[in-house]
Amino acid sequence: MHIPDGILPLPVTLGGYAASISICWLCIRAINKREDPRADIPKAALLTAAFFVASLIHIPIPPASVHLVLNGLLGALLGVFAFPAILIGLFLQAVMFGHGGLTTLGVNGVILGLPALAAAGVFHLRARGGAIHPASPRRTTVFGFLAGFSGIALSVLIFALILLTSLPAHLSAAAERSAILALGLAHVPLAVLEGLLTGLLAGFLLRVHPMILDGV
Amino acid sequence: MIAHTISISPESPFVHRWDPRMKLIGLLLLAFTFSFVSNLRVLPMMIALTLTVVAMSRYPLDLLLRRLRYPSLVILCLIILLPLISGFTPLVEWGGLTVTREGFQAAMLVATRFFCIVTLAAVLLGTTPLLRTIKAMQALGLPYVMADMALLVVRYLEVLSADLRRMRISMRLRGHVEQRWPWRNLSTLAWLTGSLILRGYERSQGVYNAMRLRGYGHQPVSRDEFKAAPADLLALAAVCVATGLLIWLDMTL
Repeated sequence: MHIPDGILPLPVTLGGYAASISICWLCIRAINKREDPRADIPKAALLTAAFFVASLIHIPIPPASVHLVLNGLLGALLGVFAFPAILIGLFLQAVMFGHGGLTTLGVNGVILGLPALAAAGVFHLRARGGAIHPASPRRTTVFGFLAGFSGIALSVLIFALILLTSLPAHLSAAAERSAILALGLAHVPLAVLEGLLTGLLAGFLLRVHPMILDGV
Repeated sequence: MIAHTISISPESPFVHRWDPRMKLIGLLLLAFTFSFVSNLRVLPMMIALTLTVVAMSRYPLDLLLRRLRYPSLVILCLIILLPLISGFTPLVEWGGLTVTREGFQAAMLVATRFFCIVTLAAVLLGTTPLLRTIKAMQALGLPYVMADMALLVVRYLEVLSADLRRMRISMRLRGHVEQRWPWRNLSTLAWLTGSLILRGYERSQGVYNAMRLRGYGHQPVSRDEFKAAPADLLALAAVCVATGLLIWLDMTL
């Protein structure tokens, strides 16, 4: 779900940068309001590195294989740090592996980062009620699934909308609708897989280290 | 895992020694100008400019080809599909498939922009160590939250990927067999990923304490690490002229 360089016209890439910088500024403002904003940087960075490495695990889905995106889980665990973390991850992927792109860094940040923030909101609903209804393992797994699934589903939707409305060639409205539908359907197994994996992972983390689920 | 970078010495070509801040600005200017180009007549000039930078950098060709070997799947799909599904003027008809002029032109535009930008990024960023590039971004105003995170991510990528390698070997030694269908070993995958995340999380507290002991957060960030020489500024000015020329040609040709 990375849009590479060269596809999108200049206004869209610049718009992507403007949107990403604005969202990132809001996230950094929230981080800077903390008592010690630097305290959580190593934690967020090491979790980002762990996600980066985990995303290199390829999962066979015949006839091809997919790699984990984990933006839903990243949002759930990192909260406001998720957006800057995704931008850093995308920059490093573009520089180190040539995945994604430099001009599309802003657009890709929106595609993966906004759903991560949405997934953070979804996941934190599990603890609604606080001490009265502490999050049970089942509740954590269910909300983990919802966070993982919504992270990918929203990303696919934004990806398809941006890609198909910005192509430098005429596509009929019917062809665009069919392409969005086809892209969406093709990604349903990935969204379900990420949802299940995020749910199981959230349940695992609740059992072995519940503090990590409180976010940074 | 860390991308290969070339060591820099006084004898290295100028592209290697170019002030990383100027290099970043120049790269972004060129990349965004290439995104702006939509006139097919300008494409040869874009290619010529890219090849000139490659030649000046003396970047190893095999390394460059390795970077270009796996173009993105999205790009490949678009190059193949655009001539068939978009546009309206038939160019070639064969076996029920119609290649349209507009679709073919769009595919050429997308492919040329992609290869030119990826080549420039590989050459210009590959000739500066990654950590120095991040410090240059900080000198250009990247917030400390992001710069510090990026430096730490780069520092620990190797460590955590080595952890993952060891964990996968241990799993195989204990009899784990990766299934063809992921649903069958999903919980194992989740625990593997969870253990990796936990290792990162637990290591972070020690890293933070060590950083605090070394004065992290108490020293002002030094912005004097980079000094642009006249040659650095002149090179950036040349890039500005080249991009201005491309934009003018795109609009007038």
